[in-house]
Amino acid sequence: MFTATERPRTAGEWVQFAVAMLLVAAMFYPTVWMVLSAFKNNREIFRTPFALPSVWRWENFAEAWKLGNLGTLYLNSLFVTSAAVTLCVGCATAAAFAFARLEFPGRRVAYRVMLLGLLLPPPTVAIPLFTQLRDMGLLNTPWALILPGAAWSLSLTVFLMRSYFNTTRTDMEEAAKIDGANTFQIFWWISVPMVWPAVLTMIVLNTINIWNELLFALLFIVDEDKRTLPVGLIRFYGYHNTDYSLVFAALTITTIPILLLYFILQRHVIAGLTATTMD
Amino acid sequence: MAGRPVEDRTQPLSSGAVNLLFAAPALVLFGCFVLLPVSSAFFYAFTHWDGYTAPRWAGFANFERAFTDTTHLMSYVHVVLYILGTLVFEVALGLGVAVLLNSERRGFSLLRGFYFSPMVLSMSAAGVLWAFVLDYRSGLLNSLLKALGAGDLAQPWLSQPSTALVAIMVVSGWKFSGFYMVIFFAALRRIPSSIYEAAILDGAGPFRRFFSITLPLLRQNVMVAMLLAITGGFAGFDLFFTMTNGGPFGATEVPATWIMKTAFDKNQLSYGVALTVVLAVVVMAISLVYLRFSERLNVHRY
Repeated sequence: MFTATERPRTAGEWVQFAVAMLLVAAMFYPTVWMVLSAFKNNREIFRTPFALPSVWRWENFAEAWKLGNLGTLYLNSLFVTSAAVTLCVGCATAAAFAFARLEFPGRRVAYRVMLLGLLLPPPTVAIPLFTQLRDMGLLNTPWALILPGAAWSLSLTVFLMRSYFNTTRTDMEEAAKIDGANTFQIFWWISVPMVWPAVLTMIVLNTINIWNELLFALLFIVDEDKRTLPVGLIRFYGYHNTDYSLVFAALTITTIPILLLYFILQRHVIAGLTATTMD
Repeated sequence: MAGRPVEDRTQPLSSGAVNLLFAAPALVLFGCFVLLPVSSAFFYAFTHWDGYTAPRWAGFANFERAFTDTTHLMSYVHVVLYILGTLVFEVALGLGVAVLLNSERRGFSLLRGFYFSPMVLSMSAAGVLWAFVLDYRSGLLNSLLKALGAGDLAQPWLSQPSTALVAIMVVSGWKFSGFYMVIFFAALRRIPSSIYEAAILDGAGPFRRFFSITLPLLRQNVMVAMLLAITGGFAGFDLFFTMTNGGPFGATEVPATWIMKTAFDKNQLSYGVALTVVLAVVVMAISLVYLRFSERLNVHRY
């Protein structure tokens, strides 16, 4: 690393760097524009789109927060996401352990069936799932998002966790077995700590997917105060689409914390989101 | 050596039906909220059903209607165009940017981080943000064109049929090309630099090196990326719903938006279900054919 940075850059490398800077600046500019516009009033957004705000209107955020009921939306999203991710990653880790390490009747068939979920797009079940949740009395409750959200994340999580189990050695588990530990003790005290890095990656991957989920959240929740952020944001845009500064403020409030979290946990987030294509 | 089956793994830790308990929670959850609704979709697709009263058997009536429903057929034309667009704006752009950002010099890691960042935003946030960027009156794009003295090029990007679909492709590229960039970047790092050094000694320029070394070595990754873009594209809903919801004049109607409209706005539940079955069959068939096809390609690897 050090040698690479100490050697002076060639002309070609400077061109590469300049082109890369320009490209990334162009990509990121809409986000910057969104944050700056959130501080302006509508007149300024229209008249001087590229300028800094003449006055930093922090009150835009307070108004958007109150009007959009964003605090409630945040709490709903937090509850749904944490419950669904816990459920999904917990079940998937145990199942991946079973598929990778244990033998039981129907193991192969069960695993193949679970992988079917990788080929199915969620819109294909939205309608029957809607009536099913209604008949179960779960419609318009957080569970209408938690249970399907966890279930639809299982295939990918089980698949990736099982591949991870297959790359780890079994010596520790076998040693524990010889020492008389039962299968659950081996799973809990040996296997889970061993695959913990993969568990963390799966937590990040599923958190992002479920936090951003739109289709189920749109269909299965009716009450305004039970909605999650993605749906709430679209509704807010629908009600206030002529009040630009307000929508920009709401957008900023809902995206900047996520972006900051991403920059802090960057390595884990990228590992999680690209886990799909690990070979 | 050849022909001997690859060994699954060593002895299982334990065997017996009791081990099923470890897989049981996942299987129950998956059964209740994935398998059960999928199988009822395949049943309801063959019925007339309003969601409340008992379904009446309809045979292939819903499917016959699906193949004469012009909006439905057009939605596949739009989604195929959209997928072709995403192959350019997501996969090809992602590959190009991965090559551009493939450097150990200071600053590049930060640039890669920024380039990837739209991936963590929700589709609805990205959609609302870009609806403003593309807004006719005060959007960023038209303001930029005016500032550059090309004000006549300003368009109502999302509200005229000729540009709406292309606009969504571009937004999709903005949102997802970082994902493909990271995949390709990881693959690029695995190519030994000695190959490039040898090529430079032989006098190969950057384009020659890209097409004769990089691209062939990344073929596997390109195939996977294309599969993800194709299957993801067919099921695309969020961006279309947020930005145009099928409009203007049906120019961006894709299968998923049309399904939700028939089922919930027009209250034709069983017809909507039949359309989802068509979509599921199309996506699964394409994935299986594609996987078979790419397996055959893999035989000729370097």
